[in-house]
Amino acid sequence: MTEINYSLTGFDLAGGDRHGQSGRPEPRIRVNGRAAGALAMGKSRLVVMMAAFTVGFGAVGAKLVDATVSFGGAKEPSVARAAARTMPQVRADIVDRNGVLLATSLHTASLFADPKLILDANEAVQHLTRVLPELDPVALMADLKSDKRFVWIKRNLSPRQQQEIFRLGIPGLNFQREERRVYPQGNLAAHVVGFSGVDNNGLMGIEQAFDTRLKENDEPLRLSIDVRLQHVLRKELVNAVEEFRAIGAAGMVMDVKTGEILGMVSVPDFDPHAPPPPQEEQDTDPRFNRNTLGVYEMGSTFKIFNTAMALESGQVHMNDMFDATRPIRIGRFTISDFHPENKWMDVADVFKHSSNIGSVKMAMEVGPQAQKDFMAKLGFLRQANLEVPERGWPMVPNPWREVNMMTISFGHGMSVSPVHLMAAVGGTVNGGVMHPATLLVRDNVNEIPGTRIISEKTSDQVRKLMRLVVTEGTATKADAAGYLVGGKTGTADKVKGRSYAANARISSFAGAFPMNDPRYAIYVMVDEPKGTKKTFGFATGGWVAAPTVGNIVAQIGPLLGVKPQDANAPEIIQALAIRPPPAPGSGTGAQVAAIPVTMTSGEDRD
Amino acid sequence: MTLDISGDSAALSFTEKLGQIPWSFVLLITAVACVGFAMLYSAANGQFDPWASRQMVRFTVGLGLMLFIAMVDIRIWMKMAYPLYGLVMVLLIGVDLFGSMGKGAQRWIDLGFVQLQPSEIMKITLVMALARYFHGASLEDTGRIPFLLVPLAIVAAPVALVLAQPNLGTSMMLIMASGAMFFLSGVRWWKFALVISAVLIAIPLSWQFLLHDYQRDRVETFLDPDSDPLGTGYHITQSKIAFGSGGLMGKGFLQGTQSHLNFLPEKQTDFIFTMLAEEFGLVGSISFLLLYCMLLLFGFIIAGRCRHQFGRLLALGLTVNLFLYLFINVAMIMGLIPVVGVPLPLISYGGTATLAVMVGFGLLISVHVHRDVRMSRRGLGDL
Repeated sequence: MTEINYSLTGFDLAGGDRHGQSGRPEPRIRVNGRAAGALAMGKSRLVVMMAAFTVGFGAVGAKLVDATVSFGGAKEPSVARAAARTMPQVRADIVDRNGVLLATSLHTASLFADPKLILDANEAVQHLTRVLPELDPVALMADLKSDKRFVWIKRNLSPRQQQEIFRLGIPGLNFQREERRVYPQGNLAAHVVGFSGVDNNGLMGIEQAFDTRLKENDEPLRLSIDVRLQHVLRKELVNAVEEFRAIGAAGMVMDVKTGEILGMVSVPDFDPHAPPPPQEEQDTDPRFNRNTLGVYEMGSTFKIFNTAMALESGQVHMNDMFDATRPIRIGRFTISDFHPENKWMDVADVFKHSSNIGSVKMAMEVGPQAQKDFMAKLGFLRQANLEVPERGWPMVPNPWREVNMMTISFGHGMSVSPVHLMAAVGGTVNGGVMHPATLLVRDNVNEIPGTRIISEKTSDQVRKLMRLVVTEGTATKADAAGYLVGGKTGTADKVKGRSYAANARISSFAGAFPMNDPRYAIYVMVDEPKGTKKTFGFATGGWVAAPTVGNIVAQIGPLLGVKPQDANAPEIIQALAIRPPPAPGSGTGAQVAAIPVTMTSGEDRD
Repeated sequence: MTLDISGDSAALSFTEKLGQIPWSFVLLITAVACVGFAMLYSAANGQFDPWASRQMVRFTVGLGLMLFIAMVDIRIWMKMAYPLYGLVMVLLIGVDLFGSMGKGAQRWIDLGFVQLQPSEIMKITLVMALARYFHGASLEDTGRIPFLLVPLAIVAAPVALVLAQPNLGTSMMLIMASGAMFFLSGVRWWKFALVISAVLIAIPLSWQFLLHDYQRDRVETFLDPDSDPLGTGYHITQSKIAFGSGGLMGKGFLQGTQSHLNFLPEKQTDFIFTMLAEEFGLVGSISFLLLYCMLLLFGFIIAGRCRHQFGRLLALGLTVNLFLYLFINVAMIMGLIPVVGVPLPLISYGGTATLAVMVGFGLLISVHVHRDVRMSRRGLGDL
C-alpha cells in the first residue's frame, strides 16, 4: 500500500479514472499490484524527463557562460578563408614583392551562337550589332548562316552587355563562363609580367614562362619587382625618351646581394590588355624588351669588367702607368680616346677618363684567352639567365683574336643584353660573388646561388673607381645626394647594317649605390638620344643616362630604405678614396674637364 | 497555491473556477511576456512600433483566450481533441495546397485578420490527440505494437505535411514532443532504442535525398560556422559576437550594438534572445532562463497534481513543447544545434506562436482547474 500525496514525486500515473469509476470522491488514492508497477514506471519516466530538461538547461547555461564571458579558445574566424573559397581560378594571381596585384583573373561571360538554332539571322545580326556596335555585321551574318554548330560572337562581355543580350531573347545564343586576365598596373610591368591570350595561355613574360605553374597552383606568384620602383623607373625613362627624342629606353634596378630584379622597365611599352601585334623592326616594337631581348655593344660600361679582370689577374696594379699619348693602330683600325689626355695614366685615370687606349693596354697585359675565360665567367657567352622567355643571345667573336680582345676591352665587338650586364655589375661590386638575376622573390636568404668572379679586394678597388667616375669623372650627374652613387657611363654607336651608324647611339650608365657597401645596382640606357641645347648638343652616357640615374636614385633611395650618408664624412672618404685624400684647400679635382663645343668625331666614347 | 484535494471540480461554479486559476502562474506568464515587450521595444531602437505594440495586443488577446480555455471543462477539450486535430490537419493540407508563399516555404494561411500558421497550432492539437489516445491505455496496451500504430499514424501525418512545407524545425519539435508523450505513457525503452537507431541509419539517407539545399547548408554551417562567416554562417557568427559583446553584465537596455547596428539578423524573431544576452549579459540571460524554468516547473506541478491521465499527459506534453521551444531556440542561436526556425515563445515577435503558446497555457490551467474531474477510460459520459 502506498499513500499518494500530491506532489511532484508522487503523482499517480495509474490513473484516478479506474478508481473513479464508482463516482465516489476519493481524496486518498490507493494503489496496489499492477497499478503499483505502473506507478513506479511513471515515476521513473517523469524523473528521466526532468533529467533531460535539466541536461538541456545545463547545456544551454554552460554554453551561455562560454559565449558571454569566456575568451579565447574560439577558432579565429578568418575572412581570408571565406575569400579563398570563392571560385577556382584558371590562372593564379601574379603579385609584386610586396603583394601588390600585377595580374589577376576575373570571371566574365563570352557569347557564342549555335547557328542551327538561330531562327532569323537578319534579325539577330540587327539586334546584336545594336548592343555590340563593334561587331562586323557582314562577318556576323556569314557566321550565323553557316552550317557550324558553334561560333564565337564576342569574348569577355561586360555584365551590362551580357544583360542586354539576355534581354534580346534570341534563341541559339549562349554564354560561356570564362576568365579574363586583368593587369591592374596596366603598362607598368608589361614586359615583365607579359600577358596571356583569350584562351588563358601565357604568351609573353612571366605569364608565358610560368604558364603551367599559374594554372596548377592557386597561390599567387610573387615576383621580385617592386611596383613603386617600377613607377619611378618608368617615369624617368619616359621623361628621358621625350627630352632626348630617343626611340626608346630601358632601365633596371637589382639587389646585388640576392640577384633579385626590383625594377625592370623598357619603353616604349604596351597595354597588356590589348597587346599590339609584334613588329619586324625591334627598335620600334613596343613588345620588344630591351632589357632582356636586346643585345648591344655596351661601350665604356664594359671597362668595369676590363678593369676588374686586369686587377684580378695580378698583371695590373692600381699604380701601374699606361702610355695613352698616342692612338693604337692595329690593322685597319685606329683606337683613340674621346677625351685625349695624351699622357701616361694610372688605372684610376684610365677609368675616370674612360681611356680606350689605356683599357686596351690593360687588356693586353692579360691576353685574349684569359679575357674570354673571364667573359665566360661573367655569363657573357651564353643566353641571359632570367625567367622570361624573351632572352637575347650574346654576339661574341669567333675566333677570339687579339683585335677582338682590344675592342672588347672598351666594350665593342661583342654584344650582350642589359640583364647580362646588370648581373655582372652586381657581382663585381658586391664583394665578388655574382648571383644570377631573377624576377622571382628569393625567400630563402641562406640559399642564394652565386659564383665568385673576382676577389673581395678587386671588388673593393673597382667600387672606388666607380665612385671616382661619379665624383670626378664623366658621370657627375648620376650622383644623388647622400646615396653615394658610383658607376660608369657608356656611349656606343649602334650597328646599322654592316657599319656603325653616324648619329645613332646607345647612351648608358651602369652603376650601384651606396658605393661604400653597395646594395643596389642600377642600369639605364637610352636608345638613340639626340642632344639638346641643355646638353650642348651632347647625347653621351654622361649627359643622357647619368642624370636619369641620379633622378631615379634620389627617388628610390628612400623607398628602399637606404640611409643617406654624408659623402664628405671622413670615414666615407677613407672608404672610397683611391689615393690618400688631398690636403684641405687643394681643390676638388676636375669636373668634366674642358667640354668641347662641337663634336670632333663620330667616335665618341666617354 | 492552496490545494483543494477534495470534491469534484466538475461541479465547481464559475467563481469557484476563477478562484482555482493559479494566478501566480498567470502573473509569471505575464512577466515573461513583459520581458518580450521590452526586447521588442529595444529591437525597434526604442520604439513601440512596429513590434512591441502589436505584440502587446496579441498577448492581451492571447491572455483572454487563455482564460477562456482555462474555464472550459477539460472533458470538453478531451472530446474536442480528435476533431481539433482533424481540423488542423485540414488546415495543414490547405497550406500545402494553397498557402501563401513566405521565405521559400508554405506555412501560412491568410485568414484575413490573422496569418495562421497551422504547424504551430498542430503542436498543441497533436499533444491533445495523443493525450486523448493514451488516456485510457493501460501498461499492457502500451506494450502491444498494434496499439501503438494508431498514435504513430497520428504523429506521422502532420509531420509529413510539415516536412513538405518544408519546415524542419517544427517537424522535429512535433516528433520530439510526441516521443516524450509516448515515453511518458509507458512505451517500452527498447522500442525507443529501436526507433532512435533507425533514425540514425536514416540520417545519411535523408541527407542525400530528403533535405533541401538550405537545410544542408544549415547543418554544415552548424558543424563549422566559421567556414562561411559571410554566407550561411552569418547568423551564428553575428550571434556569437553579440553574446561576447554582452559579457557578464551586458551593455545595458537599448545599448546592444550588434542588434541596433543591424548586424544581427532576425533580431525581433528567432534571434531575440541574443539581443537580450547582449543587453543584459550573462546575469540577465540566466535570470531569464530561470524565469522560464519556473514556467516549466509549473507545468510539471500541474501534471503531478492532476488525477486523470488525459490531463497529466496533456500538461506534460505542453510542458515538453514549451521546453523544446525554449531549448531549440536558445541552443540554436548559441550554435549548439543547427539553425532551425523556432521562435522563443512569449518573447519573439510572431502572432501564431504567441497565440499557440497562450492556448497551451490555457489548456494547462484548465488541467489544473479540472484536475479532480472524473473521467472514464473512454473519457466520456461524466460530463
